[in-house]
Amino acid sequence: MAPARLSLLVVLAVLITGCAHTEESPIAPLAPAAGRVDPGLGPGTRALSSGPGYKGSPGWSPNGGRISFTVDGYVVDRPTTSGEQRRWTTKDFVATDTEWTSDETLAILGAASASHSGRKASNSLYRANARADSLELEKVTGGVLAMSPGEEGLIFALEIGADESGLALTRGSGKVRRLYADGTIEGRVAALSLSPEGDKAVVALRPPEDPRTSELRTFDLRNGTGREVTRLDGNREILGTPQWTQQGLYFVAGKRTTGVDADGSEPLYNLYSVPAEGGAPELAPGVGEDFVASSIRVSPDGRQLAVIGRLNPKSPTNLYVLDPAARKLKAVTTNEDMEMKTEPDDLAWSPDAKNVAIIARGTPLTEPEVRPEPADRILRDFYNLYEIPIPGHTQP
Amino acid sequence: MKDIVFWISGTALAFVVTAEAFLLLANLATAPSEKSLAPDSPEAGSEPAVELALDTEQLESLRPRPDQSLDLVVKNEGGRPISDVNVTLSVSSENTALSNPRYYRQTLGKVPAGEAEDVDFGFDLSEPEQRVTGRPASEPARNILEIKATTPEGISTVRTVILPP
Repeated sequence: MAPARLSLLVVLAVLITGCAHTEESPIAPLAPAAGRVDPGLGPGTRALSSGPGYKGSPGWSPNGGRISFTVDGYVVDRPTTSGEQRRWTTKDFVATDTEWTSDETLAILGAASASHSGRKASNSLYRANARADSLELEKVTGGVLAMSPGEEGLIFALEIGADESGLALTRGSGKVRRLYADGTIEGRVAALSLSPEGDKAVVALRPPEDPRTSELRTFDLRNGTGREVTRLDGNREILGTPQWTQQGLYFVAGKRTTGVDADGSEPLYNLYSVPAEGGAPELAPGVGEDFVASSIRVSPDGRQLAVIGRLNPKSPTNLYVLDPAARKLKAVTTNEDMEMKTEPDDLAWSPDAKNVAIIARGTPLTEPEVRPEPADRILRDFYNLYEIPIPGHTQP
Repeated sequence: MKDIVFWISGTALAFVVTAEAFLLLANLATAPSEKSLAPDSPEAGSEPAVELALDTEQLESLRPRPDQSLDLVVKNEGGRPISDVNVTLSVSSENTALSNPRYYRQTLGKVPAGEAEDVDFGFDLSEPEQRVTGRPASEPARNILEIKATTPEGISTVRTVILPP
């Protein structure tokens, strides 16, 4: 009987020891992902700015480390990770476009504020250097209509006469180096962008005696020749900057209106495509007939097109990516309660094509809103920049 | 009978020893190398805590004109008195290109624990000087009030009010 008792005692001792294992370790809270927010724009979204101010024209620096944008007209940039905002112009400057020409320099299209008169001054092209001690800008030339950075330098459209334009190039020195096109371009250039290889340019043009930006024209920058691609009829105009993809030219166009239609609805614009060699534009394949486009931007490799728009006039505005080769439109955001800014230059691709920057805010209320944080840290109540990851790329 | 008890006890012992061994191994594998520090649990009410209360109806009555007033309540929600509480009001525009914030400040002498003090600000909410900026006319700038209460110990509470245009 003794071995049996011994066995039972051992069993009881082991059971008591095992059950008495009550030591607990606190579970460390999950570290919040730096800067990640969910403002209603989907998982992985990251705020790139905060606080009040009407933001626009985002642009990533060539190495992707900083992002520039305009705030109520003046130009700032900030690191895309964390860090302080840096101002590039004085607050009385009104920039309409900014482009990085290196990781330290910006080309800025704009003008000093036209005081109280309300008259809009003609835009000039300026260079700004991050290492400069002051906010003084170096003027390259006046009468500049549009610009786009290329591999050889900055290509820009120049106002030559009331209804004549030209294309020019400037490099690091700030000198205007070369005029493109045979003589001048008949019409006024409204927007300009380059082909993925950087050797051709497409411009949206307002022909002489036409109040609308209705013509697309391409230029071969190697031999300076140009050709008309298409001209819109039926009171339609081109909105924003046409984009040159690997599958041809894409642009947003629609009937010209003055803001809001008589029935209270906003003007509806469509996304069109046309071969770079010319032809009749057709609704962009893959987006659907009811799709309402606002702004578009081609990816750095020319294979994808970021589109801000709506699937139909009654659906919310979202960010989409169109694969022109596959003719497939993919929704990147599933936004229901944020207002995405829909100006033509309000989206930008990161250099690695992993993210797109957009500008959005929550729907403003008609009553005073009280927030428990300083104004410069508020996100939703003001237009702010958000980095949206593009599906197919893994976030670090 | 003795054999049966022996075999039952032996089987149970083998089972428990094996289970304990697995338990030990599992604990070894998951034991945290560092121990997280639990936050100190403050004695209720012993830390200074300031709360700002605003009158919603009064906020709705504010207009973009001079001579506006804002009455607010500073509450000491801590367990001991606080003194020399700085209360500041900053008035600015959403249009940051025009914004030249106006600052107003008041200091409260002493606020006993659990008590509240009224603070009244008279301030100018008139439009800043107008000039052309990059903000379109379709986006009228809203006025922003930022109210901050700060104790000498560095405890601060902020409320930002965004007024509709």
